[in-house]
Amino acid sequence: MEANTGGKHSFVLNMGPQHPSTHGVLRVILEMDGEHILEPEPVIGYAHRIQEKMGESRSWPGFLPNTGRLDYLSALIYNHGYVALIERMTGTEVPLRAEYIRVITSELNRISSHLLWLGAFLLDLGAFTPIMYAFDDREQILDILEDITGARLTYCYFRVGGVFRDVDDKFVERTRAFIKRLRGRFKPIYSDLVTTNIIFIKRVKDIVNITPEMARRYGVTGPPLRSTGVCYDIRRNEPYSIYPELDFEIPVGTSGDCLETYLVRVNEMEQSLRIIEQALDRLPSGPFRLKVPRKLKLPQGDASFSVETARGELTYYMVSDGSDVPYRLKIRVPSFSNLSMLKELCRNMLLSDLIMALGTLDLVIPEIDR
Amino acid sequence: MDVKDRLIAELGSLPAIVNLVDQRKRGYHLEVLLTPKIIRDFSLLMRRLDFYLVFVSAVHLDPEVEIIYQFANYHGPCRTLARAFVPADGIIPTISDIFHGANWHERETRDMFGVVFSGHPFLLPLLLPEEDADLKPLLKKAAALKSAERIRRIAELATPVAVDNTGKNNPEQN
Repeated sequence: MEANTGGKHSFVLNMGPQHPSTHGVLRVILEMDGEHILEPEPVIGYAHRIQEKMGESRSWPGFLPNTGRLDYLSALIYNHGYVALIERMTGTEVPLRAEYIRVITSELNRISSHLLWLGAFLLDLGAFTPIMYAFDDREQILDILEDITGARLTYCYFRVGGVFRDVDDKFVERTRAFIKRLRGRFKPIYSDLVTTNIIFIKRVKDIVNITPEMARRYGVTGPPLRSTGVCYDIRRNEPYSIYPELDFEIPVGTSGDCLETYLVRVNEMEQSLRIIEQALDRLPSGPFRLKVPRKLKLPQGDASFSVETARGELTYYMVSDGSDVPYRLKIRVPSFSNLSMLKELCRNMLLSDLIMALGTLDLVIPEIDR
Repeated sequence: MDVKDRLIAELGSLPAIVNLVDQRKRGYHLEVLLTPKIIRDFSLLMRRLDFYLVFVSAVHLDPEVEIIYQFANYHGPCRTLARAFVPADGIIPTISDIFHGANWHERETRDMFGVVFSGHPFLLPLLLPEEDADLKPLLKKAAALKSAERIRRIAELATPVAVDNTGKNNPEQN
């Protein structure tokens, strides 16, 4: 297929939906001039399962396992948003111990998501070694979480009124050991091997520049937004659970390029370790779950709940007609808005840099398509 | 002046109803009831006040579809939910030139509910395949359809603010 633009020859290149760098089933139709992209057009919907319809066609507990299958890399945080929304609507109290367990496991999940991103992103750049280390560390988290949740990826661990199962001393011990281990690996592995590597820096610096103004027009959230210098994190700006009681920083960048986004994510892992450590120190005893009636009716009206996932802001918006089946469930996912920026972000960019733009946005396609 | 007070003050210039909402109970701070005519003016105001678009979506009610916009602000907690009833012809003005992120949200709403956004530059199916462009899967069957009163929160939980210069043009009563 050939088009003629302004006397120059351009051609159309199809990338995906089956492509190792589109991580899932994203397709991008590229109008190219040589190696430069004239017009990128993302095509999505290949993994569309109409989750929102499923959400309104069964009583609310039935949708809980689905939440872990939207963004399968931060499934626990998706669990968290959904149960917290139901708790907000029904006015259900959550025991303090359960809130601590939720935060500890959510932050472990956030680290595992960032580790997978780190490995996959560098793999996209052609560096094969880091993914081996990243997966080694991630494997520890999956083992810890598997013990208490029973799953390794698509968790369904949180319940309205608490969590499915209590954590034991073994969990606390293993998590502490993991904190020590990962802290010991930042410097010799991630910093020396990647962050200070001159080839890496030359490749990612000043590539894919996101500006705060552009981020706002597209509703970008998460690390791509924070890398531009905007300090916006739902955990801090609209605090939920026990986050206000914990001491942690929100890492921000300045220029919004690939390197800054990388640094924001690496620093976020360190902050997550701080959160987990504090929460483990203060982990209160007491019940981990309150008895909630099996047929819990949702009061008439609407409510919204936002949480910060590894990729940005997740908002559940539910409208209820007073029964236990939601009348409408809208799921606003971060990657959807982040990816919609691609067209403007990658215009006039080199084809090889598009791979980095896709990598730096940390896309999970089943989450975008829902 | 924080973000919320500023927005409430600026909304005084629009013929919209503004309700203060208990954030702890409902997850957002302000509820704005719009008419299709002022959607664009409202969006321009939100853009000027540095809000970002969280989502655009809709709810199928009896007799019409209600369109929902949610905005939030990077600089202060002021989550705002705006709603308007879609007229019988199903056409609503686009805001995709004001908030570029609305482009995809509006395409999705067109897929799911069949709401047409006039002035949208590229209103093709986003999530649905081309052959199912008119499926409108999130529209409800007549038996499941509820009227607006059946899904509104009981009034005492929402406190109306001073800003209400609509007089009798309450979109809730249309």
